[in-house]
Amino acid sequence: MPCGEYFTDYESRMGLVRWRTQKIALALGLPIPFIAPFLLGGGTVTLLTQAYIFTIAVLGLNVILGYAGEIVLAQGAFMAIGAYSTSRLLAVGAGLLPALAVGGIISASVAVGFGLPSFRVKGFYIAISTLALQFIAEEWFFVNPQLAFIHGGTTQSLPSNVGVVGPVGALGTTIDKYLLALVLLLAFALLSLNLSRTGIGKTFRAIHENDLSASVLGVNVFKNKLLAFAIGGFMIGVAGGMFGFQIGFINAEYFTLGLTLEHYVMLLFGGLGRVWGALLGVGVVTLVQDYLNEGLNYLADLTGTNSTALLPVFFGAIIIVVLAVEPKGVLAGLGKIKEYLRTWPFAY
Amino acid sequence: MVNWVTFLDISLSGLGLGALYALVAMGFSLIYKVTGVLNFAQGQIAMVGAYGVVIFGTATVLPAAIPAWAAVLVTVLLGVVLGLALERVVFRQFIGEPVLSVIIVTLALGSILEGVIFFLYGQNAQAYPGALTLGGQLSLPLGTSIQAAYAVAVAIALIVVAVLMLFFRQTVTGSILRASASDEQAAMVLGVSIERTIALAWTLSIAITALGGILLATSSGGAAVSIENTGIIIFAAVVLGGLDSIPGAFIGSIVVGVLQELGSYYLVGGTAVYVPFTNIQANFGAGFGEILPLILLLVVILVKPYGLFGTERIERL
Repeated sequence: MPCGEYFTDYESRMGLVRWRTQKIALALGLPIPFIAPFLLGGGTVTLLTQAYIFTIAVLGLNVILGYAGEIVLAQGAFMAIGAYSTSRLLAVGAGLLPALAVGGIISASVAVGFGLPSFRVKGFYIAISTLALQFIAEEWFFVNPQLAFIHGGTTQSLPSNVGVVGPVGALGTTIDKYLLALVLLLAFALLSLNLSRTGIGKTFRAIHENDLSASVLGVNVFKNKLLAFAIGGFMIGVAGGMFGFQIGFINAEYFTLGLTLEHYVMLLFGGLGRVWGALLGVGVVTLVQDYLNEGLNYLADLTGTNSTALLPVFFGAIIIVVLAVEPKGVLAGLGKIKEYLRTWPFAY
Repeated sequence: MVNWVTFLDISLSGLGLGALYALVAMGFSLIYKVTGVLNFAQGQIAMVGAYGVVIFGTATVLPAAIPAWAAVLVTVLLGVVLGLALERVVFRQFIGEPVLSVIIVTLALGSILEGVIFFLYGQNAQAYPGALTLGGQLSLPLGTSIQAAYAVAVAIALIVVAVLMLFFRQTVTGSILRASASDEQAAMVLGVSIERTIALAWTLSIAITALGGILLATSSGGAAVSIENTGIIIFAAVVLGGLDSIPGAFIGSIVVGVLQELGSYYLVGGTAVYVPFTNIQANFGAGFGEILPLILLLVVILVKPYGLFGTERIERL
């Protein structure tokens, strides 16, 4: 905290932008992502768009896992549900925003449905019920041609030029997609930040810490868990729809358990339960993944083996090391360093 | 009209499949009982076991192959070493950490093992050395028959299960394992080395899981990536039987195996049954046999989450 600034009321204490440094940083920093696509090359813009979309999905995971503490292993399935719903609605010309919203709502309802066991059990059981959902979606539902009347086909191409609502306000260029993803990301990040400051977020945290104590104190644990599933599921579904729209083509192979694990790496690396952690995690992991992919491809060409298959090995190793060294994520680690430097050399 | 011989045939191979699943499921329950770790990497460990025989028994990766029986032995030994190494290097760091961390560590471990196998073999099935593949059919009473390779695998699985049960009931080491599972503190007071017990549990669990993978592979003629799915299917078995019950895991596996085989035959493809009094065939599409146990799993979690033989956990503040 800078010297000479102190809070005189509750509102300013709980504000998102509290100190003069933060205000200056916001005014200088916020325009950067809006200007960036006009200065950067197309490849980088696409990579950034994908990172923004994954951030939305990871923020959704953060609501369920970081705030409410329920282990959900169906990230891929939720994104697939969002993507296929969005694709079908775009095909009938509903416009992008309604399609994304409906995709999110369908995904949220499925999430609530698979959260129902939390009425009696917790932890591990929720993990396997959602893992079962992931397996059903990945191995059977979305690859089954007989069910095409529901999902509309395992592989689908999405229209590249659609209106925002109905036919109004067409968008389709890379920069349009980038800006849309950015706006959605900012909206959902703000939503998550506000969620964690309000009563709902505090209730979620109480359930996370000790659900029995929370219920003794009068919190309706079941209702709040389902609420977390609904909010998180909605965000993940929207991210799935946006992901489909961005690459313009969806295939059941994109939405596997591997995707779930990737998002776990991102969230755990950055810091569980922190919005900034999710942003940092997605940023770093996307960059690392990009470089690793390039390196492994190079190695594959050089040695003639399929070394690209080793990517999950690195991810697995990163997860284990992060959890063993700093279970609260890099953000907490940075906080520790900052605290150390602030009091240095007189730690006591 | 249902053909009874076919029905018996299918049920029989279901029972066999269940016996094969039982090894993997018992590996899971054993570790959960003794250390409280929920191992989400069982499927990948079984797959490593299945591919281990390919690695050692054929000259695809190593310069020279060793005899098939030795390859099986080496693979099971590899399981023992892997168990010791994982316990020492990975899981010891996570004693006392929340369930979430441990679950994610096992998932990460699964992805590491899977990545290594995919690196070595891609996603292709690999045939087993000739000595491990048996042709021919074995005729059984009531006009049923079963493939010889399958019958041998099932017989070995049943023997291993029986030996394990005897080991837990009759030997001192088995009693020590059961004692530390039921009350760690009391066992420690009575002079049991918990450290050594946990290491033993890991080696035993991973060795029998690897053996389960090998037998699953021999029963189908070779190692395939689909063995990985066992890791998810056995959850249906262990939850149905009750998470912390080893006999429960066995019974659950049998039920799941029969369900899967019946589902694959009667609810998929041209052999599917007709919905009563209609002309509609109940064909749910390829792969539904493996989905059926998962539907059972979801029902069990909703209706009776502690399974048939599991102990209900009562929480206090």
